[in-house]
Amino acid sequence: MTGPRDRDTLGQRRAWGWVAHLRAGGATPWRDWTNEGEPRGRVLPGAQQLELLRRLNAAGTPGPDLVERTLSASAPGRGRSDLELLGAVEPLAFGPPPVDPGELRDDELLRVATGLLAEDVAAAGLPEEHPPTFVRPWRTRYRLQGDPELADPIRAQLVARGRPPGGRGSTVLVLGDHLDRMVVDAWTAGCFDEGAAAWGTWLGSRARRDALPPRIDLPHVAGTWAGRVGHGRVRIVLDPAAVPGLVGVRRAFIPPESVPADGIELGRRIATTLGLLVPRDRRRALLRHTVRPRLAAQPGPRLAVPPEHADWLQRRAVGMREAVRAAGYPVQGDPDRLLPAPVDHGRVVVTSETGALALAVRLLLGDDGKEWL
Amino acid sequence: MTKRVLLHVGTPKTGTSYLQDVLFRNRRMLAGHGIHYPADRFDAHFLAALDLMRLPWGGLETEAVGAWDRLAGSVRRSRGTSIISHEILATASRSQVGRALESLGHGDGAEIHVILSVRDLVRQIPAEWQENVKHRAVLSYERFLEQIQDPARDSRIASWFWGVQEVPDILNRWGVDLPPERIHLVTVPPPGGPPRLLWQRFSHVFGLDGLDLDLEAERVNPSLGVPETALIRRINRAANTELDPPSYRPLVRELLAHQTLSRRTSSPRLALPPHVHPWAQDVAASWRTEIEKRGYDVVGDLDDLSGPPPLEKWSDPDQPSEKQVAGAAVDAIKALLLETARLRQTEERLAGELRDTQLALERSYLRPTYRMREKVVRRLQDGRTGQRLLKAYRRLRGRSSRSA
Repeated sequence: MTGPRDRDTLGQRRAWGWVAHLRAGGATPWRDWTNEGEPRGRVLPGAQQLELLRRLNAAGTPGPDLVERTLSASAPGRGRSDLELLGAVEPLAFGPPPVDPGELRDDELLRVATGLLAEDVAAAGLPEEHPPTFVRPWRTRYRLQGDPELADPIRAQLVARGRPPGGRGSTVLVLGDHLDRMVVDAWTAGCFDEGAAAWGTWLGSRARRDALPPRIDLPHVAGTWAGRVGHGRVRIVLDPAAVPGLVGVRRAFIPPESVPADGIELGRRIATTLGLLVPRDRRRALLRHTVRPRLAAQPGPRLAVPPEHADWLQRRAVGMREAVRAAGYPVQGDPDRLLPAPVDHGRVVVTSETGALALAVRLLLGDDGKEWL
Repeated sequence: MTKRVLLHVGTPKTGTSYLQDVLFRNRRMLAGHGIHYPADRFDAHFLAALDLMRLPWGGLETEAVGAWDRLAGSVRRSRGTSIISHEILATASRSQVGRALESLGHGDGAEIHVILSVRDLVRQIPAEWQENVKHRAVLSYERFLEQIQDPARDSRIASWFWGVQEVPDILNRWGVDLPPERIHLVTVPPPGGPPRLLWQRFSHVFGLDGLDLDLEAERVNPSLGVPETALIRRINRAANTELDPPSYRPLVRELLAHQTLSRRTSSPRLALPPHVHPWAQDVAASWRTEIEKRGYDVVGDLDDLSGPPPLEKWSDPDQPSEKQVAGAAVDAIKALLLETARLRQTEERLAGELRDTQLALERSYLRPTYRMREKVVRRLQDGRTGQRLLKAYRRLRGRSSRSA
């Protein structure tokens, strides 16, 4: 590491010159930089921090606070520590090799960026809570289960309208959709809840074990509830337009906001770091109420299941449809809706570190025109 | 009186668990001698390190929020000597080191010493692979060796290994703001030496000489042999995707590895392959030259970094004796059976207690007065007036009756 004892070399002065250039808003890559500068700090910031600041400068105008936070940040989690700049130090026989910051992987910059974003989220806190609504005693008693991305937002809207779930004689509505959509939804919900493995790892592991996430295994969910409340009080709902009537409201629900693929990946990474900054319950609340709305407002294509899992999903969807029919639950909507939706395989969208990093830079700069709250 | 902070930052597998156990169990006695070991639980400094470095650790990090600031605050408030010890601190980045030193009072009157206990790479390399395996890793020993010898070091395994093991680099990060006389290297003696020699070195550097400490260890990090490590790796491959981290830790790491398989001491020991020795010796020699140049305080002998010679009969954990692995597997099955039997007994006992509780509850429900009150409440709940009456009654009776 380059400390005070090594500051007077030519390479060090060049590095400090680049730091000053970046602090002033410059975006010249390290490999093109030649001017020298005076040391300003305990040690040189790492190559990851400096390159992230350069990207921020190239994309917009970071404020002085963000500049200093970026330079003093550390990348959370496991991975290479703060790296030296290639050409700023003499090659040593030990320590990670110096790097050209322009050649760093997006993942290494993303680690620093998500650390900063997680700090912002923790500092922003939660939106103001609405006062509890008058609970309507004459409400239709219901429970919403199944696809979390369908059930959770509707339940939240019903609670806000004074219609909380549960109560005597509740009908259990198990909400579902195309199975490929539900798989994406299950992963999305996990990312904004307890955190989840990367999309490819998570999906590959599920496919290998032939294990659908429990919440979207509709026959299993329905069977569990049938055991608790009786077969006659369980319905499978595959037609979203039918939900208002089934829960006794006239007004349609605001459709759930989907988060673009890169937004989910960024949210997943923020979730991991946020777990190191705030207690578990607060993390969950921050992810749902502070992080997710801003990410859902970002443009970008939706995540889709890659074609290599199409056969698995088709087989499981057919099995699910037959199990639902055989069990004899009332079904609202067409059971064929459980089958995977037709996909243009040439346009399947997966998560990408490059996309997540670009989004992280936009959010740090506030270029999306939004704030956390 | 100058406030001193002794900051022990690593490295792993150098007797750190034993040291931390002794310090924790003797912390009250130490306090009486002006030595402060601020910990309310044995892993307090581990949690603080996770917090400082923002390291996820299989869910444990959720218990670590704010732990470093609490630890540093306790150190700043105390007088005399404070000791902080955890081996994963070795991997802290330079900005994290800066934050740590500042929070402990560096530049504000505190005299900070960094202590690093070090062991030869010949023993550290197999020990680190084994530690990875005990943390769910499935990679082969050969692949591990390839990754750590790759100069790019950009794999997760290699960056962690060198982050916690590369002595000159660790001291570069931790020692940049400190004069060399405040940086102390404790070398781990070679195998076969006096059993207390390492403790004597620790005792000397931490200023514990002459204190009547209880040195009986309760927590150590025992090592496994070749077939036992191979077995755990196979278990990881078979169970990782289905066994979540909160269950893995007590069942595989603690019950199987530490409590069961570590007792099989007659199996071949894990060692560095003979063909990797020359490379390890070259690395150790370059470290030694660098350490001598810097003038740190060495407690022990830098010759210890050379490590033992290659084994004449090396046992490959990637191709273990199947007979030995089967023997280890039988021991593992026996341990799991006994644990399952214990859990079944616990389950039966709890089920009995639950049944008794339910019966007692039912008896109270069957009392005529209870049934009458239940009927009245149900009727009142159906009407608006009744609800108001109930509300008023509950308010008069007090909060405790509302949830009844």
